[in-house]
Amino acid sequence: MSTTTQQRHKNVVEAVLGMDPDAVAYVPSNSIAAIINGLIDNAGPDTRVFPVSREEEAVGVIGALPLAGKFGVIVMQDNGFGNALTALTTFATSYHLPVLILANTRGGLGEYNSMIHSISAPVPDMLRAANIPVFGLDRRNSPEDWQATVTEAGKHARMTYRPVVVLMEFFDFNDKESRA
Amino acid sequence: MKRIEALRVITERTPDLPVTATCAATSRELAAVADRDNHLYLLDAMGLTVSVGTGVALGIAGTKVSRSVVIDGDGSLLMNLGAAATAGYLAPDNLVILLLDNGVYASTAGIPTQAEKLDLGAIAESVRLKVLRAADTTELGNALQRTLAEPGPWFVHVRIEPGNEPGTPLLLIDPVVHADRFRRWLTDRIAA
Repeated sequence: MSTTTQQRHKNVVEAVLGMDPDAVAYVPSNSIAAIINGLIDNAGPDTRVFPVSREEEAVGVIGALPLAGKFGVIVMQDNGFGNALTALTTFATSYHLPVLILANTRGGLGEYNSMIHSISAPVPDMLRAANIPVFGLDRRNSPEDWQATVTEAGKHARMTYRPVVVLMEFFDFNDKESRA
Repeated sequence: MKRIEALRVITERTPDLPVTATCAATSRELAAVADRDNHLYLLDAMGLTVSVGTGVALGIAGTKVSRSVVIDGDGSLLMNLGAAATAGYLAPDNLVILLLDNGVYASTAGIPTQAEKLDLGAIAESVRLKVLRAADTTELGNALQRTLAEPGPWFVHVRIEPGNEPGTPLLLIDPVVHADRFRRWLTDRIAA
Protein backbone atom coordinates (compact mmCIF):
# COMPACT_ATOMS: atom_id res chain seq x y z
CA MET A 1 0.00 0.00 0.00
CA SER A 2 1.47 3.33 -0.97
CA THR A 3 1.04 6.65 0.82
CA THR A 4 -0.17 9.78 -0.90
CA THR A 5 3.40 11.08 -0.94
CA GLN A 6 4.67 7.92 -2.57
CA GLN A 7 1.89 8.19 -5.14
CA ARG A 8 2.94 11.78 -5.89
CA HIS A 9 6.50 10.61 -6.42
CA LYS A 10 5.29 7.98 -8.89
CA ASN A 11 3.06 10.42 -10.72
CA VAL A 12 5.89 12.92 -11.11
CA VAL A 13 8.11 10.17 -12.53
CA GLU A 14 5.35 9.19 -14.97
CA ALA A 15 4.87 12.81 -16.00
CA VAL A 16 8.57 13.33 -16.67
CA LEU A 17 9.01 10.11 -18.60
CA GLY A 18 5.76 10.81 -20.43
CA MET A 19 7.32 13.90 -22.01
CA ASP A 20 10.12 11.71 -23.38
CA PRO A 21 13.06 13.87 -22.30
CA ASP A 22 16.48 13.34 -23.82
CA ALA A 23 18.21 13.86 -20.47
CA VAL A 24 17.50 14.48 -16.81
CA ALA A 25 20.14 16.08 -14.56
CA TYR A 26 19.70 15.98 -10.82
CA VAL A 27 21.06 17.44 -7.61
CA PRO A 28 19.58 15.31 -4.87
CA SER A 29 17.37 15.94 -1.89
CA ASN A 30 15.85 13.43 0.48
CA SER A 31 12.36 14.53 -0.52
CA ILE A 32 12.92 13.77 -4.18
CA ALA A 33 15.15 10.72 -3.84
CA ALA A 34 12.22 8.52 -4.79
CA ILE A 35 11.65 10.61 -7.94
CA ILE A 36 15.31 10.43 -8.94
CA ASN A 37 15.48 6.70 -8.30
CA GLY A 38 12.21 6.23 -10.17
CA LEU A 39 13.66 8.08 -13.16
CA ILE A 40 16.92 6.12 -13.03
CA ASP A 41 15.05 2.81 -12.82
CA ASN A 42 12.39 3.51 -15.43
CA ALA A 43 13.98 5.76 -18.04
CA GLY A 44 14.30 4.23 -21.47
CA PRO A 45 17.61 3.79 -23.28
CA ASP A 46 17.26 7.17 -25.01
CA THR A 47 17.00 9.15 -21.77
CA ARG A 48 20.16 9.84 -19.77
CA VAL A 49 19.61 10.43 -16.07
CA PHE A 50 22.74 11.71 -14.36
CA PRO A 51 24.07 13.70 -11.39
CA VAL A 52 25.73 17.10 -11.60
CA SER A 53 27.80 18.90 -8.99
CA ARG A 54 25.71 22.04 -8.68
CA GLU A 55 22.50 23.45 -10.08
CA GLU A 56 24.10 25.94 -12.50
CA GLU A 57 25.84 23.02 -14.14
CA ALA A 58 22.48 21.42 -14.74
CA VAL A 59 21.25 24.64 -16.37
CA GLY A 60 24.29 24.61 -18.67
CA VAL A 61 24.07 20.98 -19.73
CA ILE A 62 20.27 20.67 -19.96
CA GLY A 63 19.86 24.21 -21.30
CA ALA A 64 22.16 23.37 -24.22
CA LEU A 65 19.99 20.48 -25.43
CA PRO A 66 17.40 22.66 -27.23
CA LEU A 67 20.24 24.09 -29.31
CA ALA A 68 20.48 20.60 -30.80
CA GLY A 69 16.69 20.20 -31.04
CA LYS A 70 16.49 18.19 -27.80
CA PHE A 71 14.83 18.71 -24.43
CA GLY A 72 15.73 17.97 -20.84
CA VAL A 73 14.59 18.21 -17.25
CA ILE A 74 16.33 19.26 -14.03
CA VAL A 75 15.38 17.76 -10.67
CA MET A 76 16.74 19.67 -7.69
CA GLN A 77 16.01 21.31 -4.35
CA ASP A 78 14.78 24.89 -4.14
CA ASN A 79 17.75 26.18 -2.11
CA GLY A 80 19.84 25.48 -5.22
CA PHE A 81 18.24 28.38 -7.07
CA GLY A 82 20.72 30.57 -5.22
CA ASN A 83 23.41 28.75 -7.16
CA ALA A 84 21.51 28.58 -10.42
CA LEU A 85 20.15 32.09 -10.83
CA THR A 86 23.00 33.58 -12.88
CA ALA A 87 23.04 30.60 -15.23
CA LEU A 88 19.25 30.70 -15.56
CA THR A 89 19.14 34.40 -16.37
CA THR A 90 22.26 34.82 -18.52
CA PHE A 91 21.87 31.57 -20.43
CA ALA A 92 18.49 29.79 -20.40
CA THR A 93 16.33 32.90 -20.21
CA SER A 94 18.48 35.18 -22.36
CA TYR A 95 18.96 32.59 -25.12
CA HIS A 96 15.28 31.46 -24.95
CA LEU A 97 16.02 27.84 -24.07
CA PRO A 98 13.18 25.67 -22.76
CA VAL A 99 14.02 23.71 -19.61
CA LEU A 100 11.66 22.09 -17.11
CA ILE A 101 12.89 22.39 -13.53
CA LEU A 102 11.25 20.35 -10.78
CA ALA A 103 12.31 21.37 -7.29
CA ASN A 104 11.15 20.30 -3.87
CA THR A 105 10.67 23.07 -1.34
CA ARG A 106 12.44 23.49 1.97
CA GLY A 107 11.84 25.87 4.81
CA GLY A 108 8.07 25.47 5.02
CA LEU A 109 5.86 23.43 7.32
CA GLY A 110 7.59 20.36 8.67
CA GLU A 111 11.05 21.78 8.04
CA TYR A 112 13.63 20.66 10.60
CA ASN A 113 16.51 22.87 9.41
CA SER A 114 16.20 26.24 11.09
CA MET A 115 18.47 27.99 8.57
CA ILE A 116 17.29 26.76 5.19
CA HIS A 117 14.18 28.96 5.14
CA SER A 118 16.52 31.94 4.64
CA ILE A 119 17.09 30.89 1.04
CA SER A 120 14.06 28.71 0.37
CA ALA A 121 11.30 31.08 1.49
CA PRO A 122 12.27 33.88 -0.94
CA VAL A 123 12.77 31.52 -3.92
CA PRO A 124 9.35 32.03 -5.58
CA ASP A 125 9.71 35.81 -5.38
CA MET A 126 13.33 35.62 -6.58
CA LEU A 127 12.33 33.56 -9.60
CA ARG A 128 9.35 35.77 -10.43
CA ALA A 129 11.56 38.85 -10.11
CA ALA A 130 13.83 37.21 -12.70
CA ASN A 131 10.79 36.64 -14.94
CA ILE A 132 10.96 32.85 -14.58
CA PRO A 133 7.50 31.22 -14.44
CA VAL A 134 6.79 29.32 -11.21
CA PHE A 135 3.99 26.86 -10.55
CA GLY A 136 3.32 25.25 -7.19
CA LEU A 137 2.13 21.89 -5.93
CA ASP A 138 1.36 20.99 -2.32
CA ARG A 139 -0.81 18.81 -0.08
CA ARG A 140 -3.98 20.39 -1.45
CA ASN A 141 -3.28 18.89 -4.87
CA SER A 142 -4.12 15.29 -5.62
CA PRO A 143 -1.44 13.01 -7.08
CA GLU A 144 -3.28 13.35 -10.41
CA ASP A 145 -2.96 17.13 -10.13
CA TRP A 146 0.78 16.72 -9.54
CA GLN A 147 1.15 14.62 -12.67
CA ALA A 148 -0.97 16.95 -14.81
CA THR A 149 0.82 20.08 -13.58
CA VAL A 150 4.28 18.66 -14.26
CA THR A 151 3.16 17.55 -17.71
CA GLU A 152 1.68 20.95 -18.53
CA ALA A 153 4.74 22.76 -17.16
CA GLY A 154 6.91 20.77 -19.55
CA LYS A 155 4.66 21.78 -22.45
CA HIS A 156 4.72 25.38 -21.22
CA ALA A 157 8.51 25.45 -21.23
CA ARG A 158 8.64 24.17 -24.79
CA MET A 159 5.82 26.35 -26.10
CA THR A 160 7.23 29.51 -24.54
CA TYR A 161 10.94 28.80 -25.05
CA ARG A 162 12.00 29.43 -21.48
CA PRO A 163 12.88 27.75 -18.21
CA VAL A 164 9.78 26.86 -16.19
CA VAL A 165 9.87 25.87 -12.52
CA VAL A 166 7.50 23.62 -10.59
CA LEU A 167 7.94 23.90 -6.83
CA MET A 168 6.79 20.75 -5.06
CA GLU A 169 5.96 21.00 -1.34
CA PHE A 170 5.90 17.49 0.04
CA PHE A 171 4.79 18.28 3.59
CA ASP A 172 1.41 16.67 4.22
CA PHE A 173 -0.04 16.44 7.71
CA ASN A 174 -2.12 13.48 6.55
CA ASP A 175 0.96 11.52 5.60
CA LYS A 176 3.55 10.60 8.22
CA GLU A 177 5.90 9.50 5.46
CA SER A 178 6.11 12.97 3.91
CA ARG A 179 9.34 14.78 4.64
CA ALA A 180 10.75 18.24 4.38
CA MET B 1 51.28 32.18 -28.15
CA LYS B 2 48.64 34.90 -27.88
CA ARG B 3 45.01 33.96 -27.42
CA ILE B 4 44.09 35.29 -30.85
CA GLU B 5 46.79 33.13 -32.44
CA ALA B 6 45.32 30.08 -30.74
CA LEU B 7 41.85 31.07 -31.91
CA ARG B 8 43.09 31.32 -35.50
CA VAL B 9 44.37 27.75 -35.28
CA ILE B 10 41.08 26.57 -33.83
CA THR B 11 38.88 28.32 -36.41
CA GLU B 12 40.96 26.91 -39.26
CA ARG B 13 40.10 23.37 -38.13
CA THR B 14 36.51 23.78 -36.95
CA PRO B 15 34.41 25.39 -39.72
CA ASP B 16 31.96 22.47 -39.68
CA LEU B 17 31.73 21.80 -35.93
CA PRO B 18 29.75 23.45 -33.14
CA VAL B 19 32.12 25.64 -31.13
CA THR B 20 31.05 27.00 -27.73
CA ALA B 21 33.20 29.86 -26.43
CA THR B 22 33.48 31.36 -22.98
CA CYS B 23 32.39 34.91 -22.32
CA ALA B 24 34.08 38.28 -22.64
CA ALA B 25 37.43 38.66 -24.44
CA THR B 26 37.58 35.07 -25.71
CA SER B 27 34.21 35.30 -27.47
CA ARG B 28 35.01 38.77 -28.78
CA GLU B 29 38.34 37.67 -30.21
CA LEU B 30 36.81 34.51 -31.68
CA ALA B 31 34.15 36.60 -33.44
CA ALA B 32 36.86 38.97 -34.64
CA VAL B 33 38.80 36.06 -36.16
CA ALA B 34 35.69 34.50 -37.72
CA ASP B 35 32.06 35.17 -36.87
CA ARG B 36 30.42 31.99 -38.07
CA ASP B 37 27.03 30.36 -37.60
CA ASN B 38 28.70 27.39 -35.90
CA HIS B 39 29.97 29.62 -33.08
CA LEU B 40 28.03 29.89 -29.83
CA TYR B 41 29.23 32.83 -27.75
CA LEU B 42 28.33 32.67 -24.06
CA LEU B 43 28.15 36.41 -23.72
CA ASP B 44 27.77 36.65 -19.96
CA ALA B 45 27.20 33.10 -18.75
CA MET B 46 30.10 32.83 -16.35
CA GLY B 47 31.68 29.43 -15.80
CA LEU B 48 29.15 27.64 -17.98
CA THR B 49 31.17 26.83 -21.10
CA VAL B 50 32.12 23.24 -20.34
CA SER B 51 28.59 22.50 -19.13
CA VAL B 52 27.03 23.90 -22.29
CA GLY B 53 29.56 22.12 -24.49
CA THR B 54 28.80 18.88 -22.66
CA GLY B 55 25.10 19.44 -23.30
CA VAL B 56 25.78 20.04 -26.99
CA ALA B 57 27.87 16.83 -27.05
CA LEU B 58 24.93 14.89 -25.60
CA GLY B 59 22.57 16.55 -28.06
CA ILE B 60 24.59 15.60 -31.15
CA ALA B 61 25.53 12.09 -30.01
CA GLY B 62 24.75 9.56 -32.70
CA THR B 63 24.31 12.21 -35.41
CA LYS B 64 26.50 13.23 -38.33
CA VAL B 65 27.93 16.11 -36.28
CA SER B 66 31.10 14.52 -34.99
CA ARG B 67 32.34 16.83 -32.24
CA SER B 68 31.30 19.45 -29.70
CA VAL B 69 34.22 21.84 -29.36
CA VAL B 70 34.56 24.01 -26.26
CA ILE B 71 36.87 27.00 -25.84
CA ASP B 72 37.22 27.81 -22.17
CA GLY B 73 39.57 29.87 -20.04
CA ASP B 74 41.27 29.01 -16.77
CA GLY B 75 39.21 31.53 -14.81
CA SER B 76 35.96 30.28 -16.26
CA LEU B 77 36.77 26.63 -15.64
CA LEU B 78 37.86 27.34 -12.08
CA MET B 79 34.53 29.03 -11.49
CA ASN B 80 32.79 25.73 -12.19
CA LEU B 81 35.29 22.89 -11.79
CA GLY B 82 32.45 20.46 -11.20
CA ALA B 83 31.64 20.80 -14.90
CA ALA B 84 34.89 19.00 -15.70
CA ALA B 85 33.96 16.25 -13.26
CA THR B 86 30.58 15.85 -14.93
CA ALA B 87 32.21 15.75 -18.37
CA GLY B 88 34.54 13.02 -17.11
CA TYR B 89 31.62 11.17 -15.53
CA LEU B 90 29.42 11.31 -18.63
CA ALA B 91 32.47 10.75 -20.84
CA PRO B 92 31.00 11.84 -24.18
CA ASP B 93 33.55 10.65 -26.73
CA ASN B 94 32.63 13.57 -29.01
CA LEU B 95 33.62 16.31 -26.55
CA VAL B 96 36.74 18.42 -27.13
CA ILE B 97 37.58 20.97 -24.43
CA LEU B 98 40.27 23.46 -25.38
CA LEU B 99 41.43 25.26 -22.26
CA LEU B 100 43.25 28.49 -23.03
CA ASP B 101 45.23 28.99 -19.83
CA ASN B 102 47.02 32.29 -19.21
CA GLY B 103 46.86 32.14 -15.41
CA VAL B 104 44.87 35.35 -15.17
CA TYR B 105 41.39 36.77 -15.49
CA ALA B 106 42.36 38.51 -18.70
CA SER B 107 38.95 40.10 -19.17
CA THR B 108 39.02 41.63 -15.72
CA ALA B 109 42.26 43.55 -15.45
CA GLY B 110 44.59 40.56 -15.61
CA ILE B 111 44.14 39.58 -11.98
CA PRO B 112 45.76 36.19 -11.25
CA THR B 113 43.65 33.02 -11.07
CA GLN B 114 44.47 29.91 -9.04
CA ALA B 115 45.90 28.47 -12.27
CA GLU B 116 48.97 30.53 -11.49
CA LYS B 117 49.86 27.67 -9.11
CA LEU B 118 47.54 24.81 -10.12
CA ASP B 119 47.92 22.47 -13.09
CA LEU B 120 44.46 22.35 -14.66
CA GLY B 121 45.62 19.63 -17.05
CA ALA B 122 46.40 17.41 -14.07
CA ILE B 123 42.98 18.18 -12.61
CA ALA B 124 41.40 17.20 -15.93
CA GLU B 125 43.34 13.93 -15.88
CA SER B 126 42.03 13.24 -12.40
CA VAL B 127 38.44 13.44 -13.66
CA ARG B 128 39.14 10.97 -16.48
CA LEU B 129 39.42 13.38 -19.39
CA LYS B 130 42.04 12.57 -22.02
CA VAL B 131 44.60 15.31 -21.70
CA LEU B 132 46.93 16.74 -24.33
CA ARG B 133 49.17 19.75 -23.83
CA ALA B 134 50.13 22.54 -26.22
CA ALA B 135 52.39 25.53 -25.80
CA ASP B 136 52.57 26.89 -29.34
CA THR B 137 50.47 27.00 -32.49
CA THR B 138 52.09 23.89 -33.98
CA GLU B 139 51.41 21.81 -30.88
CA LEU B 140 47.87 23.13 -30.68
CA GLY B 141 47.25 22.28 -34.33
CA ASN B 142 48.58 18.76 -33.85
CA ALA B 143 46.58 18.23 -30.67
CA LEU B 144 43.41 19.52 -32.28
CA GLN B 145 43.89 17.28 -35.28
CA ARG B 146 44.16 14.26 -32.98
CA THR B 147 41.11 15.19 -30.91
CA LEU B 148 39.01 15.49 -34.06
CA ALA B 149 40.14 12.07 -35.26
CA GLU B 150 40.20 9.94 -32.12
CA PRO B 151 37.47 9.37 -29.51
CA GLY B 152 37.52 11.56 -26.39
CA PRO B 153 36.46 13.14 -24.15
CA TRP B 154 39.45 15.39 -24.75
CA PHE B 155 40.95 18.19 -22.72
CA VAL B 156 43.70 20.15 -24.44
CA HIS B 157 45.62 22.27 -21.94
CA VAL B 158 46.84 25.20 -24.01
CA ARG B 159 49.31 27.63 -22.50
CA ILE B 160 48.82 31.17 -23.80
CA GLU B 161 50.19 34.59 -22.91
CA PRO B 162 48.26 36.92 -20.61
CA GLY B 163 46.53 39.85 -22.27
CA ASN B 164 43.84 40.63 -24.78
CA GLU B 165 44.04 41.62 -28.43
CA PRO B 166 43.85 45.43 -28.57
CA GLY B 167 41.02 46.97 -30.54
CA THR B 168 38.75 43.90 -30.53
CA PRO B 169 35.17 45.17 -30.88
CA LEU B 170 32.46 44.42 -28.35
CA LEU B 171 29.99 41.67 -29.23
CA LEU B 172 26.77 43.66 -29.28
CA ILE B 173 24.39 40.94 -30.39
CA ASP B 174 20.96 39.86 -29.22
CA PRO B 175 21.42 36.50 -27.47
CA VAL B 176 18.05 35.28 -28.74
CA VAL B 177 19.00 35.96 -32.35
CA HIS B 178 22.45 34.54 -31.72
CA ALA B 179 21.12 31.33 -30.15
CA ASP B 180 18.65 30.92 -33.02
CA ARG B 181 21.45 31.30 -35.57
CA PHE B 182 23.47 28.58 -33.84
CA ARG B 183 20.45 26.32 -33.31
CA ARG B 184 19.42 26.53 -36.97
CA TRP B 185 22.95 25.76 -38.10
CA LEU B 186 23.25 22.80 -35.71
CA THR B 187 19.82 21.26 -36.26
CA ASP B 188 20.25 21.59 -40.03
CA ARG B 189 23.54 19.70 -39.74
CA ILE B 190 21.96 17.04 -37.55
CA ALA B 191 19.11 16.59 -40.02
CA ALA B 192 21.35 16.53 -43.09
